[in-house]
Amino acid sequence: MQRRKLLKLGFASAAALALLGGGVALLHAPAWRNDRLTDVGRGVLASIARAVLDGSLPAPPGAQLAALDAHLERMDATLRALPLSIQTEVGDLLALLAAAPGRLALTGLATDWPLATVPQIQDALQVMRTSRIDLRKQAYQALRDLTHAAYFASAETWTQFGYPGPTKLA
Amino acid sequence: MTNPIADPIAEGLARGWRVVGGAHGAAPPAIECDVAIVGSGAGAGITAELLSAAGLNIVIVEEGPLKSSRDFRQLESEAYPSLYQESASRKTADKAISILQGRCVGGSTTVNWTSSFRTPSSTLAHWRTHFGLLDFSDEAMAPWFQQVEQRLNIGPWLVAPNENNELLRRGAQKLGVTTAAMQRNVKGCWNLGSCGMGCPTNAKQSMLVTTLPTALERGATLLVETRAERFEIHDGRVGALNCVAVQRNGAVTPDARTTRIAARHFVLCGGAINSPALLLRSAAPDPRHRLGARTFLHPVVASVATFDHLVAGWQGAPQSLYSDHFLDVDPIDGPIGYKLEAPPLHPLIFTTTMTGFGRDAAARFAQFPNDHGLLALLRDGFHDESPGGQVRLRSDGSPELDYRLTAFVMEGARRALLTMAELQFAAGAQQVAVGHELAPPYSRWAEARDGIAKLPMKPLLTKVMSAHVMGGCSMAADERSGVVRPDGVHWQLDNLSVHDGSLFPTSIGANPQLSVYGLANKLATQLAHRLSGRAVRLGA
Repeated sequence: MQRRKLLKLGFASAAALALLGGGVALLHAPAWRNDRLTDVGRGVLASIARAVLDGSLPAPPGAQLAALDAHLERMDATLRALPLSIQTEVGDLLALLAAAPGRLALTGLATDWPLATVPQIQDALQVMRTSRIDLRKQAYQALRDLTHAAYFASAETWTQFGYPGPTKLA
Repeated sequence: MTNPIADPIAEGLARGWRVVGGAHGAAPPAIECDVAIVGSGAGAGITAELLSAAGLNIVIVEEGPLKSSRDFRQLESEAYPSLYQESASRKTADKAISILQGRCVGGSTTVNWTSSFRTPSSTLAHWRTHFGLLDFSDEAMAPWFQQVEQRLNIGPWLVAPNENNELLRRGAQKLGVTTAAMQRNVKGCWNLGSCGMGCPTNAKQSMLVTTLPTALERGATLLVETRAERFEIHDGRVGALNCVAVQRNGAVTPDARTTRIAARHFVLCGGAINSPALLLRSAAPDPRHRLGARTFLHPVVASVATFDHLVAGWQGAPQSLYSDHFLDVDPIDGPIGYKLEAPPLHPLIFTTTMTGFGRDAAARFAQFPNDHGLLALLRDGFHDESPGGQVRLRSDGSPELDYRLTAFVMEGARRALLTMAELQFAAGAQQVAVGHELAPPYSRWAEARDGIAKLPMKPLLTKVMSAHVMGGCSMAADERSGVVRPDGVHWQLDNLSVHDGSLFPTSIGANPQLSVYGLANKLATQLAHRLSGRAVRLGA
């Protein structure tokens, strides 16, 4: 019963967010500014990366932090290459997710990003992925695809795939 | 990694080709010419060669950069941002379909996988019956295709298929499904498998290394990193084209440098989505609301299978075999049919096409060398319940495609997933993962059959992609049914032609590059004669 109620509430909030769109995001701290992720944006995407890349990121904490840092640098480059309209959309989404009401409405995640455990974030992602609300599915796919695109752009990650990289021409 | 291959573009630039924009120097504020061509892909390249052969002074406007073999390092992370529309992240308005389209000199021909098919007879027959395009018979089109095939070295691929394609053949054979060998537009191909990142050996006979160099040698001017913003339209004619310099991500440059091109005639070859968008921005006449409508995608669904041996899907000619069996089961205007192909697999396209995340996804990625991919391309546009999408403009003037995946199309997507899984298990797959958020990996055909039958075939749950955007400026024999006439000239604008995939009144039902080339060859040969009085021939 409680879950049903939460979902209903979630739907109303998500619909409201969708209607207000960028206007809501403006009320929050920006996640993307001057062609770079702000600390707000980095915070959300670092936690998303911990969950999406679980099993791919190096396990030792020091190495994992370094890999996440390099990943967020590549994320800047990935986002910069996108048209401004998509950059704005992604920036708005991250700003919404960074604020508690937006995070709750879109992901259902009760704990703030830096404190949330990998299983908690993964549960939230799974709910978004299979949600009946398009906005949640769209947000899930954007976050997941951007994370994969930025992380696996690095040749260092290819050992995981057994992919030898480009054929040498000479 | 250095590239030892001679780069014909670098050599041409050194010889003094007229290329401006981006790193090549600022384009002038005003240009006058005989013909301005928007875009530099399949339709533009063919048109440029023919019009320059007729002695016409032409200017080509390309939004993307000029990149060539020395830049093509076979890296997805470099290729997608520099060579593809919207950094290979273009999506439909509801974000349910990912769209791959080129945006560089050579357009999609620079990054396509070289698959070459003439327009199928059944498609042409449908166009004759439903759109009055009576000149479009196999016999009438054959010479236009023959010339292109000769010019671009389109022919059988005689090297053995890679294992990824061989598995398509093996599985199909077990099920009594026929496959056939594809024709490819290559010359001296190294069988690298990197076509989608730009050919590093210039073997692919794209517009970049064939028709465009020919036109540039004849004195054509090429504007790169320059977007065609708006036509100036007065009294049923286009007076000029206004362009603006753009950065790599499509944003206007800080100095917002503009170029106004005045010409006798304009040829629009920006590709589907972009061509109708330019006409929409220009407020071109559209009395019947046809502009941007009936835009088709060949919606694609995918299935990845893991085998007990190395497949190395990144290696070798990307698509060398195909099956049209499931296009021919029903009449063209019956339940939607689909074409089967085996695409190249590289890390970025693979990880963003596969579903899931976390440890499950990581375990899947570890099987990558043994993975085999299949695609099913759904033939949209031949049935009332497959009306295609509508191109519209965002507030910043950039285009967006609103394409609804109807129940009719998604029913075909389910059949296609079933076919691919059955075929992959028949070929010996140990596991099959179909592109659907709710589908677990299947380890037996019976399990896959029951599972796929129950999947909700909804947008944003079913993974749908497209690399073939068609229509939106459709050609028709009467003013009420189309945007342009059968000769490619706009129904309401006498000196504007459209020569690209946006002309198609339906999808093609096959990879469309040769259809664009053949049609552009016919229209541009006739246009060259009308404008110059001279008879020209492609490749002459």
